[in-house]
Amino acid sequence: MILEQIKQGFIRDLAEKGQREDGRGLLDYRAIQVTKGFAPNAEGSAFAEIGKSKVLAGIKFDVLAPFADRPTEGVVMVNAEFSPVAHPEFRAGPPGENSIELARVVDRGIRSAKVVNVDNMLVAEGKVQGVFIDLYILDHDGNLIDTAALAAMAALKDAKVPKFEDGKVVRGSNAGPLPLQDIVLSTSFEKIGKTIMVDATDAEEIASAGRLSLSTANDEKICSSQKSGSAGFSKDEYLQMVDWAMEKRKDLLAKI
Amino acid sequence: MVEKADLFKNGKRLDGRGPMDLRPLKITAGVLDRAQGSALVEWGRNKVLAAVYGPHEVLPKHLADPPKAIINARYIMAPFSGQEEHGRSGPNRRSIEISKVAKHVFENAVLVDQFPKTMIDVHMEVLQSDGGTRVAGITAGAVALADAGIPLRDLPVGLSAGLIGEHMVLDLDKYEDNLGDSDMPMVILPRTGEILLSQMDGMLSRDDISKAFDMIFQGAQKVRDKQIEALRQSYERMAAQAQQGENNQ
Amino acid sequence: MKQLVFPGDKVADEPRRIPGCFVEDGKTYAANVSLQSDDHVVPLKGYYVPKTGDDIIGIVDEERFSGYNLALNSPYGASLSARDTRDELKLRDAVYAKILAVNEVKEAVLIEPQKLAQGSMIAIDAVKVPRISGRNGSMLDTLAKFTGSRITVGKNGIVHVEGGNSELAMKAVEKICRESHTSGLTERITKMLEEQTRKTGGQGD
Repeated sequence: MILEQIKQGFIRDLAEKGQREDGRGLLDYRAIQVTKGFAPNAEGSAFAEIGKSKVLAGIKFDVLAPFADRPTEGVVMVNAEFSPVAHPEFRAGPPGENSIELARVVDRGIRSAKVVNVDNMLVAEGKVQGVFIDLYILDHDGNLIDTAALAAMAALKDAKVPKFEDGKVVRGSNAGPLPLQDIVLSTSFEKIGKTIMVDATDAEEIASAGRLSLSTANDEKICSSQKSGSAGFSKDEYLQMVDWAMEKRKDLLAKI
Repeated sequence: MVEKADLFKNGKRLDGRGPMDLRPLKITAGVLDRAQGSALVEWGRNKVLAAVYGPHEVLPKHLADPPKAIINARYIMAPFSGQEEHGRSGPNRRSIEISKVAKHVFENAVLVDQFPKTMIDVHMEVLQSDGGTRVAGITAGAVALADAGIPLRDLPVGLSAGLIGEHMVLDLDKYEDNLGDSDMPMVILPRTGEILLSQMDGMLSRDDISKAFDMIFQGAQKVRDKQIEALRQSYERMAAQAQQGENNQ
Repeated sequence: MKQLVFPGDKVADEPRRIPGCFVEDGKTYAANVSLQSDDHVVPLKGYYVPKTGDDIIGIVDEERFSGYNLALNSPYGASLSARDTRDELKLRDAVYAKILAVNEVKEAVLIEPQKLAQGSMIAIDAVKVPRISGRNGSMLDTLAKFTGSRITVGKNGIVHVEGGNSELAMKAVEKICRESHTSGLTERITKMLEEQTRKTGGQGD
């Protein structure tokens, strides 16, 4: 921990001059790569890389009991696993606050924009479709929220709905692609000193005092907002980030 | 059964409020005996109790962040607090996330440099819930911190705005939260205009967000007035008790 | 005229070093709920943080090979080297001592320790210590006069009372703490001490 912090001064000095360690501009993403269908046993999957950060999203369909007040609605669930392979400080065990936050931020974006139409997902009496999105964090070099959101969205685009018979999933069957009603992508900003930048590396995140993650949907809409870290943002800064997020959406969209 | 169409009619909300009106808000500071500082926030039908302990030794020890105090924020809902069935005791994913973003709010507002290598606990217990419990909890936590004598840059103030159809309104209650179109809880520092917490459900345009901010900044002043009033009354109560004690001698 | 100020309230347009306040962007703001009168900002509640040169009362809470650790009525503790003390100290012994130095995480090193005799002790909020002492020690003199007790006050808010009518002295200390932010305190305390000593027929012991 201490050893990772010693670089902070260097990163902050650079940020003050509007520069970054790897030579990027403040609003530049690192290289983005998305590989759909990475884990074909899953009904949908995608492996997303932003710079050296790597997240594998896998989607499984299942049947489960609906919520009492919504008897025919399907259920979408997002879970994140900060695998110990990804970082020396990640430990196996129950999810910590960072993992829960990441999963819930990605979930809120997908849910708010109604990416998956969950109406009429009744499979049999008392049984509805469940869409389980698991986000496996495999390598952590910063900006995990954007990488995970990208993987989740690409996996949803990759997903095939299986057939359901006798209230069960017919594994390996294909009833066609999962219809999507929107595309949700995340852009996260970090504030180092007074400088705001996108797509921070792990070292930049350690030097950062605060983050804002914005999810964008079609028609220039914001569908989730999450401020994290102790730094505050002004209204002007916030609206500026909304504009930048809309701008960055185009680049991300091209990758999936 | 409340329907979405009932939520906003002829410029009025279900409970008769206009778009900018807050629910009745009462804050009482110093409600607990043992805690260093405490506050009860009664906001509409919400009842949230906050208590502050510390600064004390960091537990577990390896969490200590030598140059400053670390904040241990804990937001939790009592299993009987909602209109729904009995909830499960203890933290869940929602409360863990809210505890995390609440921690970030207090890390900013508390002058943490003054107490290196210590921990400050801010407990927020939702005893009765009716929408907007996280902003009520953080508003209560702020008063409890001030009541405890923990040095603060300012009192953080929580408030939410959201869309019902195309109407932006302040301080959503449970029905508006469940049936409305979006909800944007926020915590700001009124003195500097800094946004310390921003979360969101639903879909908002840039203009919606800008409008929500302006409404929240305006409404937050009323919440801050109540926070200050609570601290003032706590002092006056103490002074009155001192006088009374003398009369009984 | 005294007025209440609250966290974030501006108390001066220029940067000033006032306890219980902080400076941001060249201006001075209150960090606590405090009473402000002209140049003074006195927090209603606060925490003791060790400062070099302070005379404090510490309570032994750990014995080590090389010395002792003491609790200070503070988030921070103090250490006392065995070389610097002639007395053999036991757990819970009270020691009046001076803070020689404070490290970067506010832990104190003590010198010139005096072991305090068995007596009554109370821990109060350190922001109230000036009220217990009174101007130039006047309140302490009053307390000693009426109770006949030897009263030692550490800057960290630990008060040690020994001999005399210690029960009355403790009661008076508690009353001062409760009413520390009200006016006419000295008169009320004197009146209380007068009445109580008349009732019990003067000093104890």
